[in-house]
Amino acid sequence: MSLARRAAGPWRALRWTVAVIYLFMFGPILITAAVSFNASNRSQFPPQGFSLRWWGNALSEEWLEPVLFSLQLAGATAALCVLLGAPLAFILTRQRFRGREVLVALTLGPLMLPALVTGVGLLQFFQYMGLRDYIGFPSLLAGHVVISLPFAVRTIAISLHGLPPNLELAAMSLGAGRARALWEIVVPLAKSGIIAGAVFAFVHSFTDVNLSIFLAAPGQIPVTVKIMGFLEFGFAPTLAAVSVITLIVPLTVVGIMQWLFGLGDFIYGDARG
Amino acid sequence: MGTRVGEAALLLKGIEKRFGLVTAVRGLDLAVAQGEFVTLLGPSGCGKSTTLGLIAGFFPPDAGEIYLGGRHVENLPPFARDIGVVFQDYALFPHMTVAQNVAFGLKMRRVDRAEINARVEEALDLVKLGGLGSRRPLQLSGGQRQRVALARALVVRPTVLLLDEPLSNLDLKLREEMRAEIAALQRRLAITTVFVTHDQGEALAMSDRIAVMNAGAIEQIGRPTEIYERPATRFVADFIGRTNVMPATVGAAGSTQVSLVTVQGATIEVATAHSLATGARALLAVRPERATLATAPVADALSLRAEVTQILYLGASREIHLTLDDGPAVIVDLANDGREPPIEIGDRVWFVAAPASCLVLPA
Repeated sequence: MSLARRAAGPWRALRWTVAVIYLFMFGPILITAAVSFNASNRSQFPPQGFSLRWWGNALSEEWLEPVLFSLQLAGATAALCVLLGAPLAFILTRQRFRGREVLVALTLGPLMLPALVTGVGLLQFFQYMGLRDYIGFPSLLAGHVVISLPFAVRTIAISLHGLPPNLELAAMSLGAGRARALWEIVVPLAKSGIIAGAVFAFVHSFTDVNLSIFLAAPGQIPVTVKIMGFLEFGFAPTLAAVSVITLIVPLTVVGIMQWLFGLGDFIYGDARG
Repeated sequence: MGTRVGEAALLLKGIEKRFGLVTAVRGLDLAVAQGEFVTLLGPSGCGKSTTLGLIAGFFPPDAGEIYLGGRHVENLPPFARDIGVVFQDYALFPHMTVAQNVAFGLKMRRVDRAEINARVEEALDLVKLGGLGSRRPLQLSGGQRQRVALARALVVRPTVLLLDEPLSNLDLKLREEMRAEIAALQRRLAITTVFVTHDQGEALAMSDRIAVMNAGAIEQIGRPTEIYERPATRFVADFIGRTNVMPATVGAAGSTQVSLVTVQGATIEVATAHSLATGARALLAVRPERATLATAPVADALSLRAEVTQILYLGASREIHLTLDDGPAVIVDLANDGREPPIEIGDRVWFVAAPASCLVLPA
């Protein structure tokens, strides 16, 4: 009895801490969402009246185009990150070879580097190498793969770490070639890690602004960059509606993947799958 | 062994394997006859699992040749060797059902669907898992997983079956059950088998021949009775069962008979295959169950004065610990015949062993 009472103090403190964290996380989002329904011309809270005209603006061609562009960019980034990241993760977890440390540094390095620096670097690279025509989607894709790959590699590597190497040996002893053993045994068992890696890469790409701001081209502008540009004219309620849309898109992707493949274990850090 | 290629189902010649600076296997020769059950026995790090990995093709040898069913294989990958492997942790594919696990090797060999189904069912019946084909490995007990692994390896009818400590993850009762079952199955299918274990009980009970390994080489190879009754070295004598060892000097050496002088100046005539020079140092070894206790010295037997230091009641036997006067500590196993031996700690007794129970080992 006294033990339970003594424990109640810390538990209550923890509960309050969690509540405050949630308040700071969701408060701004809820306010933004509320603002987007303002009837007046100014962004204010609590909203004055109720109107859907800002949502009308947000769902117009002007904004849907960059949202769609960001979706394509993030989708392509996720696909490339898996295609590059899965073999990389496999090699890094299973093989010991000369230059392994260099490969690790190259792969995970961008995590340490501000995306801003990568962005400036890539911009200069494309300009000085005479690749100016590729600024826009191709340069954005390259940049997003560089900054998103570490997330994919890390996540996939975690799922591979949990697999006993004996499984591949068993498959090979039963007559499966190396590629067949990978495809029949390793890929299905690392599936949730691979998909989680793709989701992380997708979200990272979709929400990036630091790098994208340097590499966008007219007509090839991610929605985050478009929002940054629009902010120069002040925070119109349209932006509030757009912000909600850019929030909903990655959440929906995570939700669908979660529903299809059950990624909870990965998102919340338990890698056992 | 003098065995030529073609006679043996499995032949290893002069196999060497190094990992970095460590030599795991050095100059190993082994011939396994068709249908034979050979055990590689030794402490961890003796190279037995490495040898199995080399036979399976998980890594290449640095030197030497491997023949499987007369085929030269040391340069072939595992999937081209026609082997069946049962791993210590079973290595079942967790995302497949039991039936899919067992079918895997047949699928890789492009056997047609109907035959796969029939053979999988037959293999599962063989290991007494009929009807469990649709389960997942994680839904099975340790013993059942062991059986699935066995069925998966056997269903492809491999040239050689390789078992890597397959019983070590089972509890004692199940382990004893499975070792009888695997031995019976192996005899019935007459499948050439190499079994790796550090458990001498398993090795003695299951094998046609045992190869005792130490530091990357085979120390002695022979039938279980040979290995146990006539160990060639102190290492083998110590590793298989327990042995009382005492220092000795060679008195007079004949061709098959040697006279040993041991502690307390006792002399005993012992049969030996070792050629020993007069005056050479040697070891006299006596198994605990082959020695006994007496209240007076026994003529024509090794009789040494000793003091009882401990008595352990083990149910089937009693383990009597003694210290020989001017000699090492020894143990005598007294079988339980229903009477309590009239011995107490501190008693002065005679440690007695018949000449036939004494062994000479090189020092």
